[in-house]
Amino acid sequence: MSRIVAWSLHLPGDRPATGLADGRTLAVGGATPPERARDLLGRKGLLYKEPATLLALCAVHRALGLPAGHRPAVEVDPGVAVVACGNLGNVATVAEVTRTVAAEGGRAVSPLAAPNASSNVVASTVALWFGFGGPNLMICTGATAGLDGLAMAALLLRGRRARRVVVVGAEPADEVASAIHAAGEYGHPLRAGAACVILEPDQPDQPDQSDQPDRPDRPDRPDLAVPSDLTRDRRGVRLDVLATGADWPRTPELIIGPDGWDPAAHWGDGHGGQGVVSVALAAELLAGAESTRPDGIGVGCGPVGGPVRRALVRPASDGGGRG
Amino acid sequence: MPPIVPDRAAPNLIVASVVRTCLGDGAATFTALLAGVDGRAPLRAADPTRVNVAYGYHLPAEPVRRFAASDWLAGCVSQAVRTARLDLTRQRVVAVVGTGLRELTAVEEFALTGPPVSPERLHFGPVLRAVLPGLAEVITLVNACSAGLHALALGQDLLAAGDADAVVVAAVDGMTQSMLAMIGRVADEPTDRVRPFDEHRRGVLLGDGAAALVLVPEDAATGSETRAATGSGASTASVPDGRRAAGPVPLGRLLGTGLSCDARHETAPDVAGISRAIRDGQARAGVDPADVDLVVAHGTGTALNDPAECEALRRVNLAAGGDPLVTAVKGALGHTSGTAGLVNVDVALRALRTGAVPPIVGLDVPLAAGKELRFVTSARTAQPRLAQVHAFGFGGVNAVSIIAGCG
Repeated sequence: MSRIVAWSLHLPGDRPATGLADGRTLAVGGATPPERARDLLGRKGLLYKEPATLLALCAVHRALGLPAGHRPAVEVDPGVAVVACGNLGNVATVAEVTRTVAAEGGRAVSPLAAPNASSNVVASTVALWFGFGGPNLMICTGATAGLDGLAMAALLLRGRRARRVVVVGAEPADEVASAIHAAGEYGHPLRAGAACVILEPDQPDQPDQSDQPDRPDRPDRPDLAVPSDLTRDRRGVRLDVLATGADWPRTPELIIGPDGWDPAAHWGDGHGGQGVVSVALAAELLAGAESTRPDGIGVGCGPVGGPVRRALVRPASDGGGRG
Repeated sequence: MPPIVPDRAAPNLIVASVVRTCLGDGAATFTALLAGVDGRAPLRAADPTRVNVAYGYHLPAEPVRRFAASDWLAGCVSQAVRTARLDLTRQRVVAVVGTGLRELTAVEEFALTGPPVSPERLHFGPVLRAVLPGLAEVITLVNACSAGLHALALGQDLLAAGDADAVVVAAVDGMTQSMLAMIGRVADEPTDRVRPFDEHRRGVLLGDGAAALVLVPEDAATGSETRAATGSGASTASVPDGRRAAGPVPLGRLLGTGLSCDARHETAPDVAGISRAIRDGQARAGVDPADVDLVVAHGTGTALNDPAECEALRRVNLAAGGDPLVTAVKGALGHTSGTAGLVNVDVALRALRTGAVPPIVGLDVPLAAGKELRFVTSARTAQPRLAQVHAFGFGGVNAVSIIAGCG
């Protein structure tokens, strides 16, 4: 189990979440679309960034609570890992390069698109943008990628490979990505969007190592992008990702996913980022109504007829963050 | 900046290692490497004149076709599971697959004339579940050219966490037109061969490859006392004196894998980031950098990688008093992308077991930045005990594994 210390939902468009099982309406509208990412991220360094990458950067920016237009100058922090989840983030580049080569030859391809030809571009760009020097993973496992990535993030914490893991799920909805997604027959159209969930070790089981003298994450460091204590103003939430195929230990009263209130049916399918979107939504709901859901919220995702992965998002037992 | 202080990882036994390269299976590849064979051939994965790349390192007799990578991977994983004698009905076995290019060939076909490909075919869960229905989980990890060793790190962590009884760590990549076009685009003129660590290196060429190994906890394999001391690398239950091993035959020990991300540049490697991965790997393995006998380097033959890798070795291994042999395989096999790290592991296991160290094919004049390093330029016999295996990738993703023999 890990502790969620911060999260964000970044779903551009005009479809706010309505009809949630608990009767709330969640304000997720108004998120900056990728073509206006500079409004949130600042003006420099965004050339040739793909929509999925821009959405991911926006989601992380918001989860970190950074002011709009501000890109901090940072030292590389080896204590922060990145796990990005998604499947379609660079298929448009792959298709475009292929078509260009066929029509005009390889010399017509822009070398600036080279990083986008590698499918881990979302994960590596988040690391580069924010100075996250810990392990960097790109999880591409189809419809379960979001929850698979959160499970791998928890594994990085348990293996003491990082003190904090920034998990981001992002998908675009360009023509190529949408056509490929449609071939998967998921029942709902692809929706461009992203979400971020930031994990730290669950403290009762895994003491924070920040008191060690040679740790790079001393709280008085002024030059790191990430605030030293993200939970200062928000309640901590715990996350337990179950093994693939495992059923609920006890069926939660509220499930976010195909077996319950399905975000894909209301907002469009976040596909490889959906697991992160759903966990971030669960965290948001818990933070607003913790006392009414002591058993937590279930999250599930998976392909039609394929393996399902589930997670439980619970209130922190101590009822508060580290701050 | 100092790295995270890790707990020392519990060593895991590697009880199977299956490889397919342009030079054949693992044994054939190692034999050819020792002989200095260069596996390049005229490029057939794309039109050479269109992508400005003249050569590739293709798997033998494999046509370029849709979902070929899935088939190569399934073959390697199936063989590794059989060799390791895993029982998927009783053991919880997780597969972690590292790749750089997934099944993007299918996306490329769709972009031109083909039908759309389902997103579930872009990763390797369905194909592995089809051939091994008992797999508990399949994770596709897309980490560019260091994907295989990133998968190895997660595999060891899964065992340490008790989340699996055994882990299949696999990797696969076939050449895609889009990546070939990018390589051709950034080169002034097509390179004629890969020259790792050579003063006159002119860039990288791609190769097809697939690999799978099986990791188990130290106490899960009991065949070490009857380990066949052959150089074939084939794990076998039968031993020369007729005794039967009770379990799979260990090929070597994975002591630890270090991970880092440069977070400095999208494509250019960074010495600090590479050095952090090396130190992390050594710390997790609990080994002194001076004790590393053999480095199986990344060695892409590119202008930027090779000097950065040399400098990282100088700062970490040599500065601690080490003087390892340094070899690399891309001059013979091409750059097998996400598979490269696991190919390097297989070579390291065979070198540790046999004492034979293959030369760096394509290295004639060592680059100035590597003047202090002991590059292997002709096959030699040594007695390495600890091998350090490198894999670095686009986006500054670095992974370094420390492997020991079972002797």
